[in-house]
Amino acid sequence: MASASDSKWQKDAADQNFDYMFKLLIIGNSSVGKTSFLFRYADDSFTSAFVSTVGIDFKVKTVFRQDKRVKLQIWDTAGQERYRTITTAYYRGAMGFILMYDVTNEESFNAVQDWCTQIKTYSWDNAQVVLVGNKCDLEDERVVSTERGKQLADQLGLEFFETSAKENINVKAVFERLVDIICDKMSESLDSDPTIINNPQTKRLTENPNPQNAGCQC
Amino acid sequence: MVDFSTSRSWVESDVFEITDFTTASEWERFIAKLEEIIHEWKLTFSSKARKLTKGELTTGKWQETVESLQFADFKFLVSRYCLNGPADEVKAFGDQSLDSSTSREITILSNNEEEQGSGESGQSEVEEDGDKEVIPLVWQDMMSSENDFPGRCHCLCRWYGLRDFVVLAPANNMEDILSESRANLLMSSVAIALHNTSSQVPIFIQVHQRWRRLFLGQCISGGFRTSFEMVHLKNIPHQHSHMAGLLDVFRAKINSPVADHSLVSVAVRFTYVLQDWINYSWPQQPPGDYLQEFVLLCQRKESTGQLLGRTIGEPVDDTDVSQALSRLTEPVPYNLPSLGTVVTRATSKLQMRPEEAPIPVTTLNEILLFIFPDAKNEAKTSNNAVETITELDRASVSSQQSSAQSEGDGDSQKYTEIFKQFKSAPVDSLCYRLAVCMCIVNHSYGGLRAVIHLWQEFVLEMRYRWENMILIPDQQLGSINMGFSLLHQKLQMLNCCIERKQSREARHGKPSSNNKVKHRRISASSDVTEGGDDSESQHKSQSKGDSSFSSEEEFYECLESAEEGTSAEPSEMVTSPESDQPESMETDSGSTQKAEGRLKPCGDMKLINVNEFLFIPVTQEPAPMTEDMLEEHAEVLAKLGTSAEGANLRARMQSACLLSDMESFKAANPGCTLSDFVRWYSPRDWIKEDVVGEDGTVTVKGQLSQRMQIPGNVWTEVWQSANPVPAHRQRRLFDDTKEAEKVLHWLSSMKPADVALHLMPMLIHASVTKLLEQEESQLPMLKKLMNHISNKATRAMRAPKLDIKRFEVPDLVRQISRAETVLTRAQSLLTKFSQEKQDLNLTIQELQQFVSNLLELPDVQIMGAARGPLGTIIHRLFAAAQKNVYLLPEEDNAEEGDKTIKNIPDFPDPVGKEYILRTMSQRPSPWSRSSPQRMYCVLMKDDFRLAAAITSDTTFQ
Repeated sequence: MASASDSKWQKDAADQNFDYMFKLLIIGNSSVGKTSFLFRYADDSFTSAFVSTVGIDFKVKTVFRQDKRVKLQIWDTAGQERYRTITTAYYRGAMGFILMYDVTNEESFNAVQDWCTQIKTYSWDNAQVVLVGNKCDLEDERVVSTERGKQLADQLGLEFFETSAKENINVKAVFERLVDIICDKMSESLDSDPTIINNPQTKRLTENPNPQNAGCQC
Repeated sequence: MVDFSTSRSWVESDVFEITDFTTASEWERFIAKLEEIIHEWKLTFSSKARKLTKGELTTGKWQETVESLQFADFKFLVSRYCLNGPADEVKAFGDQSLDSSTSREITILSNNEEEQGSGESGQSEVEEDGDKEVIPLVWQDMMSSENDFPGRCHCLCRWYGLRDFVVLAPANNMEDILSESRANLLMSSVAIALHNTSSQVPIFIQVHQRWRRLFLGQCISGGFRTSFEMVHLKNIPHQHSHMAGLLDVFRAKINSPVADHSLVSVAVRFTYVLQDWINYSWPQQPPGDYLQEFVLLCQRKESTGQLLGRTIGEPVDDTDVSQALSRLTEPVPYNLPSLGTVVTRATSKLQMRPEEAPIPVTTLNEILLFIFPDAKNEAKTSNNAVETITELDRASVSSQQSSAQSEGDGDSQKYTEIFKQFKSAPVDSLCYRLAVCMCIVNHSYGGLRAVIHLWQEFVLEMRYRWENMILIPDQQLGSINMGFSLLHQKLQMLNCCIERKQSREARHGKPSSNNKVKHRRISASSDVTEGGDDSESQHKSQSKGDSSFSSEEEFYECLESAEEGTSAEPSEMVTSPESDQPESMETDSGSTQKAEGRLKPCGDMKLINVNEFLFIPVTQEPAPMTEDMLEEHAEVLAKLGTSAEGANLRARMQSACLLSDMESFKAANPGCTLSDFVRWYSPRDWIKEDVVGEDGTVTVKGQLSQRMQIPGNVWTEVWQSANPVPAHRQRRLFDDTKEAEKVLHWLSSMKPADVALHLMPMLIHASVTKLLEQEESQLPMLKKLMNHISNKATRAMRAPKLDIKRFEVPDLVRQISRAETVLTRAQSLLTKFSQEKQDLNLTIQELQQFVSNLLELPDVQIMGAARGPLGTIIHRLFAAAQKNVYLLPEEDNAEEGDKTIKNIPDFPDPVGKEYILRTMSQRPSPWSRSSPQRMYCVLMKDDFRLAAAITSDTTFQ
């Protein structure tokens, strides 16, 4: 509900060809494949080595969702500890997060809880998060089982996917799911907000026991 | 051919329409249109819906449909009012089973309530007919006693109990139907339309002036006609002021030819008004004033100068300042001795004599002391010693304080979640106090002028604190939290700057001026125009400016104690002579260099090429940013586009921090390589492998990851350009001088309306806090309302830009004051009822529920009626009011006035008496079938109304 109705986005919307703009953030430990994942989604390309992201970078992709053109501005972040303060500054404006770990790296999985806390601290409560275990093509080197990933996701109340940017497994699905839950959340918050709340005109015992009311056009 | 034939048929149909002689006169056309509408609304089906449940006329959803039509050039509106929408008709046909039960319902009626007369009626006939014919909806509704005296609905519904009816009324206010002939003409039209369409829906016409609410109507069904007639008088005719008289009218109206022994059922309602709550005074400010007045400020157009008189050289300085700021941002070394002067003057000292100031000096000092409590001690010892803020609108301010204090206890704990979502400021912050003060100042000390006066003082204090390095009280230091309002973030930023400046000055051995000059500004603030303060601070900033722009000040200030402290490290500081051949490409710093700026060893890690522990260097903290800065920054990054070059450029733009870290690292670790740096900075880019040597021993060898080895990547490039420079000798990543000036400029250049706008989030926060503090806010309906307000407030505060017009603030403020009204009513009622409750068996929950219902529902049932505890309380309240009316003292003179007391009824005369009379009668002739008759009567002081629905048999007359 936050940014979709932002005037800033609406201004952009007038300039360009889309109905909504969602700002998404990919976070997770260093070297879990965030940049590769984003390149696979946005450019459908894969290189075994991208330069380690310095600070923050982004890509854009427009998708169609429920007859609406949704422009995704996806911010890719540096995973190094030292960049935390810089990247967390961007959390507040994000509507969705892709929290990524590397199934071949225990440490990156153990850090998920910590990343989650960061999201809770630095973003608004309505931001949506998807947990992603990347590099699932490297079955031989896998150290985090799918079950553990699932379990953790349940525990944290997140959606869960295992993906491979290299083999293009589930990459699109992750983004589509994230966009869906953001859309759901948006309409939900619109529904739950009756702009016309019944005016509780209190009944008063007055000289006129027939109070004027809207239905009576006399 | 095909074309030809179709076009011909078109022509034919056109001609056919023109020669339509059936609607020749205006009158016929009017009736035709009315019929058309009846058909369009599908009113021709005989609705035979289920019976109304109790109270349904009030609780159900009404639907209104409106059409306009003309009689010559006289415009009418036809409106249909229908309970639960017209959906009922769909199931109207088919379920015959309901039929008999509804007709029985009519017969049962007479057992209810008061009875008059006795004996037989023609019920059986109706029942017999009921099997064959449909009982019209109108009859059901007229005779159903489930919905007598509904609370909120159309007056025709209240008078006749109808759930579906049509009203024909003049569209224009001025064109009332005053003549009888016109009314008759309309009634005939309606009759014809009803006949032609055989619709069973009652149609009313409104006659006479609107406010009289006089309607005539009719309904035709099953060989009966029901005519709705009305009498409206200003005074109650004496002979009809009681029920017997009304019964006479009813019987006369029916005028049945059969000896009338039929039962007449009567429903009665008397209305009493309790106006004198004599025992309880309830002084209460009109709600929402403070907030609503403040919101208006956000739309004011005046400039500060217009409000407070011209400020010194305003226009000239403005341009100067912007130049000065742009000069500040230039990367070249600068020398700006005049900057301090320029900027200080630009903060616009008021050219205003103290006696002209909107806020008197003493009051201003009190307010400032409240806003800056840390200045209190100083002020007390000074001559200006004033008591704290007692004279300030204490009630409001202290309540804010108490809310801050009560944050810990259970009740408010629930709300912390709500408030965490608010984008305002912490309850104990400067920003919050300032907003509350501004609101009170606006209300009580002279509106916008006073607000701006205080704001000017506030800005001056901010500058004073920056120049004298006095931290702003209660701000969360260290990091800027973008979860707070922009104003709060700006103050946090200023505090960051002050803190950095403090530590810098401390390191350079300058005596902290804090204790000496601390808070003199506040107590001296009365000297606004005397120039003393002015020139003093100018001097100060000037001298400070000189020193702070000297070359050494450009460097980052950081704790260097680690340098000495860590000399207790495992190895000596002396770098060992290089035994291995270093990768000269990476080791650009000579290994003979002395290590500088070490923080601590990085575990027991050793450098690759040098037999030396790897040290984590002292590093510069990244520059803090407020949300507007971040947004600007992000926009610049986004503008570079998504191409590879763009990405590369972006990386370079953000590499300042990386460069600084690399330089620090090089300084701390002479002889180090990029690999060493990566092992500390990005460990996963150091790939370790076990290598089995020739002799079988396993050694761990490592290398840079593939991505770190990409030729020309940012990391290697920055590494190559990095010189070994410890953090304290690097250029500052965060230029606190520049940032502080930017904040101060932002504050001082704000328009009055902007000031108000930027304070709104805190004010809304304070208002919601205040409401939630009241325990009555837990009443169900208020809870709902508060929830709604909280959500709305959250959304409004998080909007990217505070915009008073588009922004939901005005609406939000309205809702808040409505909540306040409801809350106050609840409190008032609870207090009044609680006073009488002591000896009664009534829990506080029951009472709360009752009060909640009173506020929410049109009608509230009193459990146990007059004998229940609530009934008793109400009885007592009335009795007390009565005693007061008769000027009887509470307890005294009880014996004396004994007689009179006995004569005083506990209840006053009812302000309104209402009756509904119902019966079944045969009319107009003895052989007519029996049909339902009804008359509603209301008797008030200035209003007497009879609304009769009289049915006659049109078949057997």
